[in-house]
Amino acid sequence: MADTVSKDSAGTRGELSVSRRQALLALGAAMLGGGQAYAQQERRRNGPWKQTIPSLDLKLVRRITMGLSEYELGLVAQMGYDGYLEYHLDHLAIDDSALQSMLGTYNSLTMEPWQLYALGGTPALDLTDAQILRSALSRRQLYGRMVEFWTDHFNIYIYRGECQYLKIVDDRDVIRPHALGRFPDLLSASVHSPAMLVYLDNVTSKRLNPNENYARELLELHTLGVNGGYTQTDVIEVARCLTGWTRHGSAAGTDRGRFYFQASNHDNNAKRVLGVDIAANGGQQDGELVIQILAAHPSTARYIASKLCRWFWGESPPESLIDSAAARYAQTGGDIKAMLRVILARESLALAPMKFKRPYHLAVSALRAVKATINSPATLRSVWLPQMGQTPFRWVPPDGYPDSKEFWMGLLAPRWNIGFSMFSPGINGVSVSTTSLLQGANTAETIANRINYLLFGGEMRPPDLAALKKYLLPDPPSATRISDAFALALASPSFQWY
Amino acid sequence: MNPEDICCSEYRNLSRRQFINTSSRAALFLASAPSWLPKVAFATTPGIQRDVIISVYLRGGSDGLTMCVPYADPDYYAARPTLAIQPPGPDPGDAIDLDGFFGFPPAMASLVEAFQNGDLAIVHATGSVDPSRSHFDAQRYMEVGKPADPEVNSGWLARHLLTVPPMSDSPLRGISLSYGMQATLSGAPKSIPIPNLDAFGLTGNNSTMQSRKSWLDEAYAWADMALSAAANDTQRAIDLLEQINFANYQPAGGAVYPSNSFGVGMKSVAALLKADVGVEAVHLDLGGWDTHAAQGVLSGAMASLMQTLSSTLGAFHADMFATSNTNFIVVVVSEFGRVVAQNGSEGTDHGHGNCMMLLGGGVNGGTVYRDWPGLAMEQRFQERDLAITIDHRDILAEVVAKRLANPNLPVVFPDYVPTFRGVVEG
Repeated sequence: MADTVSKDSAGTRGELSVSRRQALLALGAAMLGGGQAYAQQERRRNGPWKQTIPSLDLKLVRRITMGLSEYELGLVAQMGYDGYLEYHLDHLAIDDSALQSMLGTYNSLTMEPWQLYALGGTPALDLTDAQILRSALSRRQLYGRMVEFWTDHFNIYIYRGECQYLKIVDDRDVIRPHALGRFPDLLSASVHSPAMLVYLDNVTSKRLNPNENYARELLELHTLGVNGGYTQTDVIEVARCLTGWTRHGSAAGTDRGRFYFQASNHDNNAKRVLGVDIAANGGQQDGELVIQILAAHPSTARYIASKLCRWFWGESPPESLIDSAAARYAQTGGDIKAMLRVILARESLALAPMKFKRPYHLAVSALRAVKATINSPATLRSVWLPQMGQTPFRWVPPDGYPDSKEFWMGLLAPRWNIGFSMFSPGINGVSVSTTSLLQGANTAETIANRINYLLFGGEMRPPDLAALKKYLLPDPPSATRISDAFALALASPSFQWY
Repeated sequence: MNPEDICCSEYRNLSRRQFINTSSRAALFLASAPSWLPKVAFATTPGIQRDVIISVYLRGGSDGLTMCVPYADPDYYAARPTLAIQPPGPDPGDAIDLDGFFGFPPAMASLVEAFQNGDLAIVHATGSVDPSRSHFDAQRYMEVGKPADPEVNSGWLARHLLTVPPMSDSPLRGISLSYGMQATLSGAPKSIPIPNLDAFGLTGNNSTMQSRKSWLDEAYAWADMALSAAANDTQRAIDLLEQINFANYQPAGGAVYPSNSFGVGMKSVAALLKADVGVEAVHLDLGGWDTHAAQGVLSGAMASLMQTLSSTLGAFHADMFATSNTNFIVVVVSEFGRVVAQNGSEGTDHGHGNCMMLLGGGVNGGTVYRDWPGLAMEQRFQERDLAITIDHRDILAEVVAKRLANPNLPVVFPDYVPTFRGVVEG
């Protein structure tokens, strides 16, 4: 099969999808091996930014952050693999005051629900801008990756009616407090979240004729998984248990937008959910019981474990790793940190394949790598992320943005363009200084090595690095060539993965 | 045997054929071309007459009982006390009769002409026989073209492209008009997602554009194979699409497309087809059909979606037929229909059977094809949903065989023997 793959038959290369799977596996393995060998070779070589960080440690940084930065490289060099992981797991101990003071300008983030309704379009924009700043600048990077994960898992499209106000509360009071806590607490908070109840139509679900929308996605997407062993009858029974779960309306004054159990809409007859009998007249307790049943269900442990493995390890995680993470869920009552320690253990991550960055990850990792100063994220939010197809809180269906290379890999043009535009003519609200990034490097060789360190921790693919040096020549490289070199490195194949 | 293995050996045999440059055709094309057309022409494969296929996916599970109303079935009215479209009559909210049994709701009026002209066919009580009521499983199995098989990953339309010789040596055979590759086209050769045909290019310093493009070509030649193919397709698509002036495209036949993204998307597809640059398949989505609450069949959420769908396809029909370019077929599907009985939120939950639509010059239109199962409780799928009496693969397979000139149906729809219903000519 390999003989049909040749560079000059570019027109037919893409058609050989047959052998793609095997070729990919082989190629992936070769590239990983090559990258490590190259990194060692590079460490022996010249350049003022000798890379001394072990390859596996770099991989950990790439996996648990939104992209390498010189700051994180410094931390991992100092702490080593285990120390760095524990540092990020203890997120509240990390000083994030610089970011917090930046976020102080977004008043809506701290408001009560009733106050948000009066603000029109501002809260949704504030939340999105804050999300971009947090992803790019927060010191609590693993925490940020978990917030992103749960934001997708409990996806809410922010422009579904009142969600444009209530998602601010959901992000603040549901996702963020529990992102590295216990899954049962997170689940319970989400089921009580007015934004979720609005988004999936539970607010109009009434006894006699319940709305199945939320009940189905609660089972399929949030807890058991589509093959988790529930039936259509279970969907209806869960919907009945949740009838009356809504939020206060505009007549409630300062309670507007808060969770509210409307007993008159609740189906108080007996129910049976996943084999468990729920007695009549339980009122709100029916729903509380459903949360307990779902959180304790082995399918939930396994489903959450498998999604976490896909997020941090790769798209096809080994069954044994999923089993171990699910077992930790069962042992610890759904302790998210305990599961992450299993998935991110040194021996597990050592075997993990490369992952393809989603567009948001790509954009943020570019900002981080070149130490971009973000004076305003508005243009990133309104122009760049929409062009790339991944603005936070804008995925309409309830399954969250896909985490799959098949889905995202085809749209490369905007991924290349964000780097190109950042360096020429620039992106509004974002500034980058090549002079300060270069720290005196002024030859093709030293500039390329400096870029290699900043963007890849020294692990840029050898052919990409060689091509970058070639692009910068002749010495001394012109200002245009230098800014192009940064942009091309951001657009290079190496930078598309983490 | 893995179906992907079959299709590839199939393709390798086919791809050995020689493509001949039909220069006289190209010259004619350039002489008569309006200004927005590109100054390019590709060698075509002689003897191949195929429709360009436009696959439209209604994400969310469209309510087929509203899109094509079975007004002569009394059980429909019993199940939909406040969400039914009334039988044809004098009121502007009444159904528009199609065949004495089915009718369009007012919001679908823009497609009546195409139906009456015989260019639009509807198939009812159809869909994917996979029983899942999960959006995501149902979409997946419909798009890969095989129910309940998690092992098949490529889309049915991708496997079609893989098993026919290209219509020309165009660098771009398939486009998913979206930010990510939609599953229907996933794995297709020379195919990428392009969200906006009118704005697909590279930015950055103009003076180094060509050297940066070359640098990327070289770097991506060494990349992971799928990524390398995507990069190459991207660069060649940019070169191609930059030559078409989509912004100045003037629709023919007085066609007016809606200004929303679906309307603008189909308008750009019309320009693309008329430019004749060798694109063979386009996929686009119209989302928002998951109408669990406040469905709004006369005015409101669903009416507005139907309006967008019908006025866009109506404009596309007028636009394309006015220039005699009828070698296209539009196929409209959705993952499932909705439950027969409405819920307490003035909406409908996930169901099973649905309707689908075909539009094009080769369609045996003016007919609602069906084997109507009825809507009484005992006639429903699981005593709940419209039953499926026509597997949607029967319809798609007939389109693939007759309009797309592809005999490799066992690869496109693995482990299925379709029954043709006469929905298209050929």
